[in-house]
Amino acid sequence: MTRYVMVMDQRRCIGCQSCSVACRTWNDLPMDIVYNPVVTEGVKGEWPHVHVNYTPLICMHCEKAPCTLCCPTGASQKDDDGTVWIDYKKCMGCKVCVQACPYGARDTSEMSPRLERYARKCTFCRDRRQMNPEAKPYCVDTCHQKARIFGDLDDPESEVSRIIGSVETVRLMEDFGTEPQIYYIPALGGQR
Amino acid sequence: MTEIDINAPGVEVKKSCCYFCHQNCGVLAYVKDGQVIKIEGDPSHPTNQGGLCCRGNIALKHLDHPARINHALKRVGERGGNKWEKIPWDQAISEIAERLNQIKAESGAEAVATAGGTLRTEDWSRRRFMNIFGSPNSFHNALLCWIPTFMVETAVCGWSPFETDLGDSRCVILWGFNPGASGMPGMRGYTDLQKAGIKIIVVDPRFSETAAKADLWLPLRPGSDTALALAMVHTVIYEGLTNNDFVANWCVGWDELVEHIGQYSPEWAAPITWLDPEKIREAARMYAKNTPSNIQWGCTADQLGATSGAGMHARMILRAICGNLDCPGGDLIPGPSFTYLTDEEIEANDWLPEEQKAKQIGSDKFKLTSWPGYQRIADVARETWGKAPTAEWMCEAHGPSVFKAILTGDPYPVRALIVSATNPVSSYGDSKMVLEALKKVEFLVTCDYWMTPAAFYSDYVMPIAGALERPTIHTNYGVTDSIMCSQRAIQPMYDRHTDYTFWRDLALATGQPADQWPWENEEEAFYYIIYPLVNLGYPVSSYDEFVENFRFYYPPLHFYKYGEKGFCTPSRRVELKSSILEELGYPALPTYIGCAENELDDPALAEEYPLVLTTGGGFMPYHHSEQFQIESVRYLYHDPYFTINPATAAKMGIAEGDWCWIETRRGRIKQRANVEPSVDPRVIYAQRGWWYPERGAADPEAPFGCLESNVNVLTSVDDEHCDPIGGSWANRGLLCKVYKVGYLDKGKAADTAFSIPGSAKEPGVTVMPSESKLAYEPIPFDPKPDFEVPEGLLWDKSRRVAYQEATGFVYDPASGWLIDQSSQVYYDLYTGYAFDPTENNLVDMQTGKRYDLETRAEIGAAPEAAAPEAAAVAEAAKPAATAETAQEQAPTAEEGKE
Repeated sequence: MTRYVMVMDQRRCIGCQSCSVACRTWNDLPMDIVYNPVVTEGVKGEWPHVHVNYTPLICMHCEKAPCTLCCPTGASQKDDDGTVWIDYKKCMGCKVCVQACPYGARDTSEMSPRLERYARKCTFCRDRRQMNPEAKPYCVDTCHQKARIFGDLDDPESEVSRIIGSVETVRLMEDFGTEPQIYYIPALGGQR
Repeated sequence: MTEIDINAPGVEVKKSCCYFCHQNCGVLAYVKDGQVIKIEGDPSHPTNQGGLCCRGNIALKHLDHPARINHALKRVGERGGNKWEKIPWDQAISEIAERLNQIKAESGAEAVATAGGTLRTEDWSRRRFMNIFGSPNSFHNALLCWIPTFMVETAVCGWSPFETDLGDSRCVILWGFNPGASGMPGMRGYTDLQKAGIKIIVVDPRFSETAAKADLWLPLRPGSDTALALAMVHTVIYEGLTNNDFVANWCVGWDELVEHIGQYSPEWAAPITWLDPEKIREAARMYAKNTPSNIQWGCTADQLGATSGAGMHARMILRAICGNLDCPGGDLIPGPSFTYLTDEEIEANDWLPEEQKAKQIGSDKFKLTSWPGYQRIADVARETWGKAPTAEWMCEAHGPSVFKAILTGDPYPVRALIVSATNPVSSYGDSKMVLEALKKVEFLVTCDYWMTPAAFYSDYVMPIAGALERPTIHTNYGVTDSIMCSQRAIQPMYDRHTDYTFWRDLALATGQPADQWPWENEEEAFYYIIYPLVNLGYPVSSYDEFVENFRFYYPPLHFYKYGEKGFCTPSRRVELKSSILEELGYPALPTYIGCAENELDDPALAEEYPLVLTTGGGFMPYHHSEQFQIESVRYLYHDPYFTINPATAAKMGIAEGDWCWIETRRGRIKQRANVEPSVDPRVIYAQRGWWYPERGAADPEAPFGCLESNVNVLTSVDDEHCDPIGGSWANRGLLCKVYKVGYLDKGKAADTAFSIPGSAKEPGVTVMPSESKLAYEPIPFDPKPDFEVPEGLLWDKSRRVAYQEATGFVYDPASGWLIDQSSQVYYDLYTGYAFDPTENNLVDMQTGKRYDLETRAEIGAAPEAAAPEAAAVAEAAKPAATAETAQEQAPTAEEGKE
């Protein structure tokens, strides 16, 4: 089996927002929607003893994705490889999934040029993998810092398996029980 | 989900590159039917390895943005009236050429100047145009970006050691350099190296993206970098951390340096830099004990104003005395390329007559980066390398002085200005003055992608082709030995043309000889440049073929090049005490002067303006004043922000997001407050480059809101604030005050009024440029001979030799003879006869008659002169001068030749 996951290395992320802009251009997103913002609380501490932390957000592609469970038409669905995506032949834009997602990863857009009013979200660049099975999501390729690592967690040889097996990682809001598939290496962590 | 299929039939992949900053990351452009349908980072490109930043990813938005200029525009009606007529490219070119020729005929070629931006143009072609046209007055923002550093380092060690061999390095200082916002591929490299064990020292007044990852961070007072560098040199010398072998064998001026540096202890630097002396020592030790180590150049070095030059010199000394030059893991000296043509070789510098070189504006004040200093450095470089640094960039008019010349006519009127690839109001210092100069200049042409403030006032606006519409060559200003090539993805859209085409068309239209411009397009010119590689294992028949098959040329790393011929300086050593700087009238050893405005030298000013302003630093997603039109990145920063420490903000009642005025002696601007502890409580950091292209020309006095939040309104280009060595002006370490924008606090008329100098209290021209003072007076360079110069000979100060004017022969005080330096033949000082060591007598080269060595009497029937040059080379047994006997005949040298 294949289970795609992404690791966000916050030790390397510098908050440049390249992934966010890259996703916007690759997926031709209108201005009122963003799939993967990088958020930060800014520089914290007392000068000059300060620190900063950046958290890249994205659809968590949960194992138990509430958005797929609540979808009345079955448009929101999960592939065998773990990718959560929306079939626009079935979606009717009811926004129930937008309400259901605890991570705020879904939204609808009122703006052209495409898919107005439909629910939209990150698909781990399903389109790229359909063209080339080896392809990675574009945000992973575009990250200069190589702070995003994508791969198959069921493959013990893959880089993500190696990292998750050896370095301390956390997942966001695990207590919701949705089993998110995005793993974070904290900026000041990394050792198990 | 995306409808565009890059695997569809008919889709070609072109190896293009990103052209939105200097990194030139590789880009794969998917082209179908002459249109780019998709781009992505090139995974096989060594620079970015598939990565692209915000700027790189918006290439397609840039390519056909509705605000792009697609046709040549000719102004109709009043200047600033914003009425345009679309005309064909060729018509615009011929009309511009006619006007330039007319101005040249009336006022001389020097009345035409050109302003440039950063290295995203084929500016060797601009230089070629200007040289053949006859004007020395082309300039860039180069003085704020590496060029003075390059020239100072080249003066000291023969060629700037700017290539860092980080793979084998153990410690790197990122000095005023924030790759986390300005050079993303570099940042990845540093992060990887740090993981592998390299120590990273970051010198930055701000907790930047890079400082956040540093092993040692020195948050110094903005503008005090020179004091820090001198104190580090002091620590290295006085703690005995130098590489003694290298200093003894390869450096000159060591004793003078040790004596001179004694005054610059870390304790002396502490109040200037706000750093703990122990922290300065810690940094110096970390750098000097972990050799091989590197100092990476950062833009800060060139933006400190008056104090810049000494800092560059001090950092250069730091590298040299720690033995980090041209060794594995150290700072490598690339030297010019020997495998392809350098920019200098295709600039046609020979076309510019000496009398025109002398007219270069600013070359009387800022000598190192204009013809006087460049000529000296180029001469020395040609002796060693056989090639010289690029003249474009390294040898230019002083930009702010050209703007002042437009406004004042001093030293002479500049009547025409061609602005190419720059937005001068945003990027040159003292924006109000620049804007006024653009309004006033008689004939203004702008080549740009967008309607900028400069374009707004132009007579003609020329549509320029962007990144995907042109091939590119990257050779680091033409002064390195590697080359990176990329190809054109598509032909220019609409009636756009590349800047090379602009200069070539203009050259031909102004009547320059067609045989000087044989290359119809970039591909032909670039093939000419790389042609020498064809015989070196790169068998290609066109430029495109080179890109597709090879793309790069990196010569094998070659360490310790100085072992062969020495360093390329007059003494063939690293001149810690620089003879070239001394000759030009600058301190030969790095001598501290404070930055443009500081609380120690001018406490009264600091009372009125209590905060220290730093600016000029890059920030994502913009590059200089670019990309503000493109909403896909503008959404990240709608408005300009300045950073202020929470403690200071609390005292002033400033909250996050408040609009505030930032004011210096030269004016004030509005930015919003970003309250966070990433700067010292005494410092504010303001973003650069801001203008509001979306506002259009609502205010014809300052279109596009170009003064409102533009930090260069605050910076100073007064001669006394410029670095006398390199001419760079003051962007950092200025004194300012900050206050909230009140409800009734509208802009005042004074907010657009300029003055020369900018720091004058009254608007208008209060001091003519030729009367304004420099930060320090030139030190007269007048070395006296330590021997008696014989009558009839002249003393050459710069070479420190006596020579004969008619022949150029040099006097040798040890033997008393004249030497022809090219053939090494000795000539008799009084008779002018050459010495023939094979027959041990004298030969009159004119008549072939021979004379006795002792008596100077003619030897009976002299045989034909047998080419003495070959025979006489390096003869050890030099004849002793026998002046007494020669007195009898006593012809002067000149007569002897007749």
